[in-house]
Amino acid sequence: MYEKVLELKNVSKQFPEVLANDNINLDIRKGEIHAIIGENGAGKSTLMNILYGLHEPTTGDIYYNGKPIKMTSPLDAIKIGIGMVHQHFMLVPSFTVAENIVLGTEPTKRKIFVDKEKAIESTKKLSETYGLTVDPKLKVESLSVGVQQRVEILKALYKGADVLILDEPTAVLTPQETDELFKVIKRLVDESGKTIIIITHKLQEVLSISDRVSVMRQGKMIGTLDTKDANEKILAEMMVGREVLFNKIDKKHIENRKHEEMLKVEKLRARDNRGLIALRSIDLSLKSGEILGIAGIEGNGQSELVEVLTGLREKESGQIFINGVEISNKSPRDIRELGIAHVPEDRLAMGLSKDASISENILMGNQHNEPYAIKGIHLNKSKIKSKSRKLIKEFDIRTPSEDVLVGNLSGGNMQKVIIAREFSFNTPILIISQPTRGVDIGAIEFIHSQIIEKRNQGCAILLVSAELDEIFRLSDRIITIYEGIITGEFKEGEISKQEIGLYMTGKNIQI
Amino acid sequence: MERLTKNKNLQYLNSLFISIFASLLIGALIMIANGRSPLVGYGALLTGAFGSKYNIATTFAKTVPLVITGLATAIAFRAGISNVGGEGQLYLGAFAAAYVGITFTGLPGIIGIILAIIAGALVGGAYGFVPAILKVKYKVDEVITTIMLNTVATLFTAYLVNYPFASSQGKMGGTEMVAEQFRFSRLVKLSTLNTSIFYMGIIAVVIYYLMEKTSYGYDFKIVGQNSIFSRYAGIKDKNQMVLAMVISGGLCGIAGALEVLGVHYRFLQHISPGYAFDGMLIALIVKNNPIGVVLMSIFFGALKTGSIAMENSIGIPSELVSVIQSIIILFIAGEAGFKNIYKNWKMKKTANSKVGEKIV
Repeated sequence: MYEKVLELKNVSKQFPEVLANDNINLDIRKGEIHAIIGENGAGKSTLMNILYGLHEPTTGDIYYNGKPIKMTSPLDAIKIGIGMVHQHFMLVPSFTVAENIVLGTEPTKRKIFVDKEKAIESTKKLSETYGLTVDPKLKVESLSVGVQQRVEILKALYKGADVLILDEPTAVLTPQETDELFKVIKRLVDESGKTIIIITHKLQEVLSISDRVSVMRQGKMIGTLDTKDANEKILAEMMVGREVLFNKIDKKHIENRKHEEMLKVEKLRARDNRGLIALRSIDLSLKSGEILGIAGIEGNGQSELVEVLTGLREKESGQIFINGVEISNKSPRDIRELGIAHVPEDRLAMGLSKDASISENILMGNQHNEPYAIKGIHLNKSKIKSKSRKLIKEFDIRTPSEDVLVGNLSGGNMQKVIIAREFSFNTPILIISQPTRGVDIGAIEFIHSQIIEKRNQGCAILLVSAELDEIFRLSDRIITIYEGIITGEFKEGEISKQEIGLYMTGKNIQI
Repeated sequence: MERLTKNKNLQYLNSLFISIFASLLIGALIMIANGRSPLVGYGALLTGAFGSKYNIATTFAKTVPLVITGLATAIAFRAGISNVGGEGQLYLGAFAAAYVGITFTGLPGIIGIILAIIAGALVGGAYGFVPAILKVKYKVDEVITTIMLNTVATLFTAYLVNYPFASSQGKMGGTEMVAEQFRFSRLVKLSTLNTSIFYMGIIAVVIYYLMEKTSYGYDFKIVGQNSIFSRYAGIKDKNQMVLAMVISGGLCGIAGALEVLGVHYRFLQHISPGYAFDGMLIALIVKNNPIGVVLMSIFFGALKTGSIAMENSIGIPSELVSVIQSIIILFIAGEAGFKNIYKNWKMKKTANSKVGEKIV
């Protein structure tokens, strides 16, 4: 018989309008790595927040080592022995590693002053005990993301966590860092007898690290299985609730097609919002009928590059040519007219108005054009309606009507609205950022096939994505970007996911 | 899900009616607390507003400036820029119209009227342009600048009518009367209701058409909802904001011009008792819906007219109506909060019963 460290019985959580957790039963065994998977909105995060004391369940009971517990805040959870590493780190950047780790429970000198020596001492001891190497004296802001995550884990361990909840821990990591993290997790379980709950939506990771896996869908617990009995197909079906096809995408290689250069960037230099150099000197060339993937860890200049290319950010120097035309100082509108459509990385902030209806969002960009605006003034409701309906059908946007406010759609359907609009301009160039961020598996399949379809029609596509799988699946050519510099360029199949990580972190550079 | 869109409007209409009803109820309680019968009080208010041809006319006369300033505020709010300076724009517009009316007295009636209205619109629009430019170019908060510019305008016009343009009868805080042929005719004896209501009608239709049916109205709306999205899609969001503010200021200027040409026949130092502020409240209450502005203006006009009658006939102070208006605003402002409280309460009930069923 296994020893249950945590047990949930009939736990439900009701939010306004959503039953986020519906009668959840779950048990976590001592010393196991338990993965919890599900699509966005399946209720994973709510469940973890209940376990961490951030939410109180509406009904149901939680048991820790067989005893019923009641938590009203994370402090209770910490006291009991449950620690959490959030997806977005909760660290103070200007503090040192040691200061961050002891934050909240600082050792003191004469009850007033923080005893820094002691903090460093205990951090050292902690990192030795668990084999997690960090330098306690370094400031957190100078650390890489992977190391920051290690600090987060140490922080939880310092507070005495026996059960560690990791929320999407690999979302911000490179493949190398992910491997490193998994080693750490294994060591924590094997050597220190900790219990790990890992939330993720990456199926391969689940299969490679966990002992057992629980699948959630629409607030319900669909089932728990031993990882050795699972495979990607089974898990995906449980998550989505229907069969998911992992087809290899059919990319037609039309050899005799003219690959004309549609977009050319030379020595581009630009600053970010804080005035720091984000792009040092970017050269790239994009041809018709190809997908050029930009691989890089977020925050290395990808967003700024896209913004400069679409006229949303001023460049400092360098040149950009669309189809041979230099676009310096041109407005977003001029650039769109020259033939660029753009799927932005942040759909809610930039790609949509959530207070407007689907058809109003689809109209955007055409509101002054015939036939949608008669003489450029009077909106032609019936034409707008018929176009919206056509796109809703073509792009499989799940909605009862084109009048539904976009804010009421799911993330995947919002994204489809943007893609439908931008693709329907039929521009020769498409710039696509994070096309499937926060999108369900089913919708990802669909969006990928639409992108390939565009490419096969001869569109020149620049794809920026933080998901390496996506870059590898779609790109004809990949360039890696690190701190505003292009560190490598590869044709499809020339490089592995492991190797590319070295270019994404600047450890390798092609000259 | 079909209901999501329509429901939202309907839900809002529900909240609005509940708010109005609750405010009237509180008004009734205040009357009871003061030993008055609310039935008699509201009866007097109702008769005062709609009891006779004269009363109805007075109600509608009060409606005219409210509709125009309400639409003015609504169009600016839609585009995401707050025009709190309607009062100042109204004063300057009114003075500009009066200036035309007392200067170009040789012009035929219709031409002079059009000229006076255009002058009011231009001056009001220009006065809206200033804070708009300050906002989009230098990020100066327009709420603060427009409020301050109100004071500048009222004091400046007060100076004008007491010194350079003082009437020949002395410093009475007014200009000379505008030329006879520029004065709008009265529609109902003794009341101030005049032909400006027709101009108001035309303006309301035009603004409704602009806001709801055209590409320009669409641009305003999207800029107001998400300016980053509008910029991304090629709308020049700053230009749109400035344009909306100029239209808004122009409308307030016209409201002032109509007061001069239709009601007082001259510019007066205190020509508006805060029409633009009431118009702003109206726009806020109906969430910038142009049809809503017209209907709510009539309601406010009736409250204003009725309250005076109520005070005269049974001695309940007309300030009670200001209290009622404010309470409506308070309820509307708290709409989201009230809804949440209600939802939470309902949710708890359904959650409990739902889970309960399962256990059984």
